[in-house]
Amino acid sequence: MEPVTVYSQYAWLIPVFPLVSFIVLTAFGRGMRSAGMLIGMLGSLAALVLSVLVLLERMTNGDSPEYNYSFDWITIGDFQLNAGYDVTNLSALMLFVVSVVAFLVNLYSAGYLKEDERITVFFGYVALFTFSMLGLVLSDNLLTLYMFWELVGVCSFLLVGFWYTKPEARAAAKKAFIVTRVGDVGLLIAVLLLFWYMPEHDLSFAAIENVFGQTGTIAQGITTLIAILIFVGAAGKSGQFPLHVWLPDAMEGPTPISALIHAATMVAAGVFLVARTYSIFEASQAAMDTVAYVGAFTALFAATIGLVQNDIKRILAYSTVSQLGYMMLALGVGSLSGGIFHLFTHAFFKALLFLGAGSVIHAVHTQNIHEMGGLGRQMKITAWTFGIGALALTGIPPFSGFWSKDAILAVALDKNPFLFAVGILTAFFTALYMARLYFLVFAGKSGAAGKAHESPAVMTIPLVVLAAFAALSGFVELPWAGMGRLGAWLTGEEAAHSGSGLVLVVSTAIGLLGIYLGWLIYVKGAIPRDFISSRAPWLVRLLERKYYIDELYHAVFTVGLRASGRALDAFDTYIVGGAVRLISGAAVWAGRAGTRMQNGQVQTYGLWTVIGLLALILAIAGRRFW
Amino acid sequence: MPEQIPWLTVLTFSPLVGILVLLFLPKANSRALRTAAILTTLVPLVVSLWLFAQYDPSAQAGGIFVEQTPWITAALNSEALNGVASYVYEFQYYLAADGLSLPLIVLAALVATMAAFASVHINKRWKAFYIWFLLLETGMLGVFMARDLVLFFLFFELTLISLFFLIGIWGLFNREKAANTFLIYNGLGSAIMLIAFVLLIVTAGFQSVPDGEAMRLVYSGNYETIMANLADPAAYVNIPDAQANGSNPFFMSEGMRWLVFILIFVAFAIKLPVLPFHTWMLRVHAEAPPSVVMIHSGVLLKMGAYGLLRFGVFLFPQQADDAAYVIALLGVANILYGAITAFVQNEFKLVLAYSSISHMGIVLLGIASLNQIGLQGAVFQLVSHGLISALLFLIVGSLYERTGTTDLRELGGLARALPFMSGVLLTAGMASLGLPGLSGFVGEFLAFLGLFDSMKGVTAIAAVGVILTAVYVLRSVLKITFGPMSERYAALNDARLIEAVPMIALLAFILLLGVYPSILTDSMQHGFDRLFEQLNSRVGG
Repeated sequence: MEPVTVYSQYAWLIPVFPLVSFIVLTAFGRGMRSAGMLIGMLGSLAALVLSVLVLLERMTNGDSPEYNYSFDWITIGDFQLNAGYDVTNLSALMLFVVSVVAFLVNLYSAGYLKEDERITVFFGYVALFTFSMLGLVLSDNLLTLYMFWELVGVCSFLLVGFWYTKPEARAAAKKAFIVTRVGDVGLLIAVLLLFWYMPEHDLSFAAIENVFGQTGTIAQGITTLIAILIFVGAAGKSGQFPLHVWLPDAMEGPTPISALIHAATMVAAGVFLVARTYSIFEASQAAMDTVAYVGAFTALFAATIGLVQNDIKRILAYSTVSQLGYMMLALGVGSLSGGIFHLFTHAFFKALLFLGAGSVIHAVHTQNIHEMGGLGRQMKITAWTFGIGALALTGIPPFSGFWSKDAILAVALDKNPFLFAVGILTAFFTALYMARLYFLVFAGKSGAAGKAHESPAVMTIPLVVLAAFAALSGFVELPWAGMGRLGAWLTGEEAAHSGSGLVLVVSTAIGLLGIYLGWLIYVKGAIPRDFISSRAPWLVRLLERKYYIDELYHAVFTVGLRASGRALDAFDTYIVGGAVRLISGAAVWAGRAGTRMQNGQVQTYGLWTVIGLLALILAIAGRRFW
Repeated sequence: MPEQIPWLTVLTFSPLVGILVLLFLPKANSRALRTAAILTTLVPLVVSLWLFAQYDPSAQAGGIFVEQTPWITAALNSEALNGVASYVYEFQYYLAADGLSLPLIVLAALVATMAAFASVHINKRWKAFYIWFLLLETGMLGVFMARDLVLFFLFFELTLISLFFLIGIWGLFNREKAANTFLIYNGLGSAIMLIAFVLLIVTAGFQSVPDGEAMRLVYSGNYETIMANLADPAAYVNIPDAQANGSNPFFMSEGMRWLVFILIFVAFAIKLPVLPFHTWMLRVHAEAPPSVVMIHSGVLLKMGAYGLLRFGVFLFPQQADDAAYVIALLGVANILYGAITAFVQNEFKLVLAYSSISHMGIVLLGIASLNQIGLQGAVFQLVSHGLISALLFLIVGSLYERTGTTDLRELGGLARALPFMSGVLLTAGMASLGLPGLSGFVGEFLAFLGLFDSMKGVTAIAAVGVILTAVYVLRSVLKITFGPMSERYAALNDARLIEAVPMIALLAFILLLGVYPSILTDSMQHGFDRLFEQLNSRVGG
C-alpha cells in the first residue's frame, strides 16, 4: 500500500515549534511578561495542531506503512549511530496526548503563575520540556530516545526546582534527577548490550521488533537481561518501586508542572518505553513477570500510602505512582493495548486532578486537605471537574478510567488471578483515598483556610476541556467484540474480552464500595476517623512514614556514600599525600645532610674524604673476594 | 591560502610574535596588554580552525599537514668502522597535524583565547603574566604537533616552566608551595619520559642510510622512523642477533619493550593524572589563578592522554593490548575514586579537581578498549572535558572575583543575584555529568560503547560512575546557585561583557559537539588506522 504521509513527513516539526519558543524565550525573554507567555503558548499550539493532523492521518490510514526518516549521527569506521523519527500509531497517539496536555498547561499557567517574576523562565522550561517529550515519543531508535529521555529528566529537574530559593525544592529537584539517573544507567547498559548484540548494530525499534519477534537470534539470557535493564530505566522514570521515592517529592514544583510532567507525560515515558520495545519483553517470560509483579506491587503499595497523606498533591502523586503500576501490570500480563489505553485516559484525568488541585491551592494557599473544606459551594467549576476526574480515576462508569482499568483487570484475571486480586484491592483503596480527598476538600464546612474564590477563566477552561476528555476518552475502546478500536488500531488485533462482564460488575461495585465507605467516614461520620489509628497506630504510622523507604535509602546510600567519601578523602590526604610527603621529605633530608657536610671546616672535609676513600678501597678490594 | 607558507610553524610560534609586541607596551597599561594578548591568541585560533576545516582524512597520505626539516645533526665519530660508516645523532624540526592532533590543537588554541579573556581578573605584573601565558601557548601547541622526540620534549618542558611561574607568581596564598609541588612531580615525570625517549632513540631510532659509498648510521628522534622500526620485523630493533660476531646493540628485547612502555605510561600518567599520581594537581587547581587553571585543566592534562596514545599505545600496541585490562581497571578506579571523593569536598575548586580525575578515567576506558569507537570516545572526551572544565573554571574565576570565596559552605542562592552566571554554571554542570545534547555525553557514551565490546563487567561498573557524577555535580552546583541567598551577596553584579563572551563561546562549542559530534569524529576517522593495522596483523599472524 502506498504510505500516506502528507503530515507524517513533517512530524519532525512538532517538537521544533516548542524548541523555537524555548530558544526565543531564553535569548530574548528577559523583561518579557505577557509576550513571553504568548511565545510559549504559540509554540505548543502549533505543535498541537500538527499533532492532531498527524493523528487524524494515522487514524484514517492506521494500517498503512509508517513514515520513517533517519540519518547518520556519528559514523565511526564501520559503525553507525543514527538519529531519526518515525510516525507509528503509538507515537501519533502520544504526540496528541503530550501536545494537548502541554497546551492546556501552558494556558493554565498563564493564570496560575501570573504573579511570579520569573514567568518567562517558566514558560521557557516548559517549552524545552515539551520539545524533549515530543522528541522522545518520535524517536525511531533507542539511542535517540535515550537522549531525549535524559533531556526530559533535566527539564523535570529544572521545573521541580523552579522555586529554587526553597531548600525543599532544591532537595526535591536533586532527588528527582539522581533517583531517575539510577534507572537511566540500567537503560544505558541496555543500549550498550543491544548495540553489540543486534545484527549490524542497529538500534532502531523496527529492527528490534524484527529481531526479537523471531526466536533464536539472540540468546534467552541476554534477552532477559536487556529487557530487565530497560525496565530498570522505565521504573526510574515511571516511579515504580523501588525507584518511586522521587515522584512524591517532585510535588515541590509548581502545580501545572505536576500535571504536565509528573502525571500526564514524562512519568508515562517508562510505560511508553516498555511498549516501544515490547518485542524484547515478549521474548522473555521472566521479564514479563518482573514487569507485572513490580507493577502490581507498586500499584497496591502506593495506594496504601495515599490513604493517609494530608497534602493534596502528595495524595495525587502516590495515586500517579499507583496508576503507573497498573499500566506496568497491564504490559506485564501481555496487554499492550490495555497499558497504553490506561496511559491515554490517565493522562487526561490525572492532569485534570492536578490542575484542579492547583486551582484549590491557588484559592486557599494551603496544600493540607484538613485545612480545606466546603469548597464545593465556592468553587463550582473546580469542584465539578475535579469530581469527574475523581470518578474517572476511581473507575466508575461511564468515565474513562473505568474502561481502561477494566481492560487491564480483564486481562489480569485471564492470565493471573492473583494479580487480578491485587488490582481489585488497589481499586478499592483508590476509591477510598479519592473519596477522602474529595469529601474533605469540597464537602462539609469551610476549613481553616477560610473563604475562597473560583479561579479565573484562563485556569478553568483547561479544567473543563480536560474534564470532557476524562469523561469521554474511555469510549475509544469498549470491552465488547468489535468495539476495541484503540487496541485494534495500535496492535493490529483486537484485545480478547473473555469474562469481562464479571470484571465490569466487580470493579464497579468495589469502586462504589470505596466511595461509600469514604462517605460514611468523612461526611456522615458513621465510622470515626480514628477507627484504624486508635486500634493499630503502628500501621498508620508506617503508612504515614511511607514504609520508611526514604529513611532506609538515606541510611544506606546517602550516609554510605558520604562515609566512603570521607574515608577516601582521608586516604587521599594521609596515605597518598603522606607517601608523597615522605618521599619529598627524604629528598629534603638527604639534601640537608649533604649541606651539613659542607660546613667550611677543612677537618670535616678531610674526614669525609678519608671515609670516602676507605669505602672506595673496600669496595674495589672487596670485589675480588666475591 | 598559499601552500608555501608553513602554517604549522606560524600556528606554533605566533604567540612568540605576540610576546615581542608585548615587550614594547607600557607595563602599567593592563588593558593594552590584555588586548594585545587576546589578539595574539586569535592568530593560532583562526589558523587552527582553518586547518581543521581544510583537513581531509580521505585525501592522499591521510591529508596530514607536515613540516619537516633537519635541525640538529651531531656527528659522533666520523672515523668509526674505518671510514665505512659514520655515526650521527639527527634530530629534526618535525611538526605534523593529523586527525588525532588537530582536535587537540583547536582545543588548545580555543581555551587559550578564552583564558586570555578570563585573565581580566589578574591584578598585578600584567606584562610578565602575558609573556609566560603566550610562552605556555606555544609550548602546548608544539606538544600536539611535534613528531621528533627531542622537539616534543622541549615543548613539553616549555609548558612546565611557564606554568611554574604562572602558578608561583599569580596564584593564591599557597602559590609557591603549589608551584613547587607541581614542578617536582612533573619534573619527575619528565625525567622518566626522557629516559624512555633516550632508550627509544638509541634502539628503535637507529637506521642506516646509504651515503655515497659509505653508510651513515643515524640515531634519530624521528617519530615516524621509530614507529616504523618498531613495527617492522626486519628492522634492526627487532633482530636479536644481526651480526654474527656479537649481539645487536640496537635490539630491543620483549622485557625492554615493556620497560619503555611502562616508563612512558608512568610519565604521562602523572600528567593525566592517573591514581595515585594525582595529588599535585589538586594543589594546582586550588592555588593557581583560575584563568591558568582553565588552561591547565582544559589542555595540559590532555597532554598526558595524548602522550599515552601517541607514544605508548601507538608505538607499543602489543603491550597496550596486553595491559588493556590494567588500564581499564585504572580507569574505573579513577572514575569512582574521583567521583566519591568529589562528593565530600567543601571547596568547589577541589570538587572540580576530583571531577577531572573522574573524567580522565573515562579517557582511560576509551584507550583500554583499543577499538575505533572507544579510542574516538577517548579523544572526544579529551576535547569535551577540555571545553567543560575551561568553562567551569572561567565561572570560578568570575565567582571568586565577586564573592571572595569558593567554599561551598559559604555560597548559596546565587541564581538570584547572578542569574546569567548561575545558568551557565548549571549548564556546564549538566555537560559535565553527561547530559545528551552537550558534548560530555558523546565522549562518555563512545568510551563506554567501545569498551563494552571487550570488557562488559568493567564497563557496567564504570557506568555506576554516571550516577555518582550526577550526585556530586548537583550537590555542588545547586549549593552555589539554589537555596536561600546570604544578604551580603545581594548587591553582586552579573557577568560583564568580557566575561560573558568566553562563556557563551565555550557553551556554543559544547553544544555544537553535543548536537553534531560528526564534526569531530569524522576528522578522527583515520587517526587510528595504523594502530589497527598493527593490531590486526598481529592477531592474523
